Amino acid sequence: MGRGRWLFHIMARSLFWRRGRSLLLVLMLAMASSLVTALGVISASIGTRVTQELQRYGANVVIVPAAARMDVGSGGMNFGVVSEPAYLDEGAVEQALASAGLGQAAHSLHLRSALHYGNADVPVEGVHFDQIRKLFPWWQVQGEWPTAGGAVVGRDLAARLRLKTGDILRLKGVATEISVRIDGIVATGGEEDRSLYLDLPALQEAAHLSGRVTQVRLLTDAGREKPAATAARIQTLLPGASVREVRQVASTSEGLLRKVQLLLLIVTLVVVVACGASVAGTMGSTVLERSREIGLLKALGGTRGHVLLLFVIEAVVLGVLGGVAGFLAGSGIAFLAAWSVFATAGEFLPRFIPAALGVSLLLAFVSSAGSFMAVFRLDPVASLRGEYHAHENA
Amino acid sequence: MTACIEARQLSRSYGDITALKSLDLEVPEGEWLTVMGHSGSGKSTFLNLVGGLDRPTSGELRIGGVDMLTLDESGLARFRREYVGIIFQQHHLIPHLSALENVMMAQYFHSVVDEAEARSALERVGLGARLANRPGELSGGEQQRVCIARAVINSPRLLLADEPTGNLDHQNTRVVLDLLRELRAEERFTIVLVTHNDEVAAWGDRTIRLDDGRLVSGTMVTP
Repeated sequence: MGRGRWLFHIMARSLFWRRGRSLLLVLMLAMASSLVTALGVISASIGTRVTQELQRYGANVVIVPAAARMDVGSGGMNFGVVSEPAYLDEGAVEQALASAGLGQAAHSLHLRSALHYGNADVPVEGVHFDQIRKLFPWWQVQGEWPTAGGAVVGRDLAARLRLKTGDILRLKGVATEISVRIDGIVATGGEEDRSLYLDLPALQEAAHLSGRVTQVRLLTDAGREKPAATAARIQTLLPGASVREVRQVASTSEGLLRKVQLLLLIVTLVVVVACGASVAGTMGSTVLERSREIGLLKALGGTRGHVLLLFVIEAVVLGVLGGVAGFLAGSGIAFLAAWSVFATAGEFLPRFIPAALGVSLLLAFVSSAGSFMAVFRLDPVASLRGEYHAHENA
Repeated sequence: MTACIEARQLSRSYGDITALKSLDLEVPEGEWLTVMGHSGSGKSTFLNLVGGLDRPTSGELRIGGVDMLTLDESGLARFRREYVGIIFQQHHLIPHLSALENVMMAQYFHSVVDEAEARSALERVGLGARLANRPGELSGGEQQRVCIARAVINSPRLLLADEPTGNLDHQNTRVVLDLLRELRAEERFTIVLVTHNDEVAAWGDRTIRLDDGRLVSGTMVTP
């Protein structure tokens, strides 16, 4: 039998002989390793998760004309008040976003106005429906999302005007009269329920406001740059506009990010220290119990290095087992956290395997260092007699 | 005849206690020397020094011509695995290894792990049917025979036996001593055996008696 194979064989025998204690050590190492893995996986994916979550709340930056004071709200949240009509230049906004490196960021253009229908004016809003579907995923549309010449009417407005899908409306604006087909009825529980949504170019033409919008909503990547900083950058490019961060959502995302990471870090540190102490105690008592065996191995001609190697191999195997188990358990914890906090499937990130193994092995070695030193110094005669203290002449 | 052990004014102290006092002794190659004495007389200390498990405080000690005082720790370890075989009263077998694996453990430190050779050694001591048994599954006599197989597996020049029959009944004592006599005849190693028992001492070529760390009876050299 080769020496390597023999070493592995007797190590396996030893660990199996003390299987209860070995299992306990693996569990302790796995516990520490799992939390480090969970911390890493959650931290690595939390930015993405928060961004995904932000999309549920809509935009985190709003651009309105500087002169305007308009009611800015969405999904039951209210961010400001409108007082007088003012407009943004659609082209200037798009150009500013492109210059700020946000040309590809999800955003929606809005033009709020009123058109005459029957005997009264109705509130209308011109939008690009593809942008709305992307940025306002909570919109529940009964019927179909509009195609060319189509419109969506808010639930309350539809009830008031007795509108239903398939109806054709003739709306009169300042410049011209347009016909639109009701393709769907939207219900959000917010102000959207009281408005009629048309294709933006159609409203711009009817209201004689070509190239004008009253509001731009923008969803930035909060994990990459704070929304406030993004807003400030856009502001410098659009001096005639007021660019504001939607504070509630941004603060929530940043706070969530910080708090979850801090909580995980504290718990991880506490568990790592506690596990280290437990591993040290268990390893220490194991070495004391095995002092006669250590003495015997030295009496048989084993050097300190030979004997130490046996213990180091056991620690390596325990560390690897603890690391692998910890990685799997940590991935499971991260998976559960993603499921319970974000209601989405978690990520399996194999790149954290080295970290899980490293923590487990480091803990196994650091916690066993005292025991290893005792093994190193143990005098064969004293240890064979059952005297556990290292002899000065060893 | 060449000397296996040469001790001159050999002493060993532990703090204020001197366990061995100025011992002069010469043991030729192939001799069976029995060391007797009461508890605390220094006989185990002598055995530890001769086995390279401990270092003398003063004096000279040469084993097989090697000056033991010149050996560092790794030199002593090498000496133990290449030159000495030790039989303990308490057997000191590793509890989680089988009889065969306990013998192979001594091979691991010496050279190569050879299962066939270890098996043969256990068969020589009459344990061919108990190879896979752990120490806890063996009787005291059987454990001592595993200990003997382990001690001789690397063909030592010096076999040290510390009360090898101390825990055995009369029948097993005889089995063990017979075995030592046979093995010595085959391997021609030197034996230093420590015992309290006069009957056991009678199996040796020469007996010395220690008391309070001094040689009180027996000759310094073989007559």
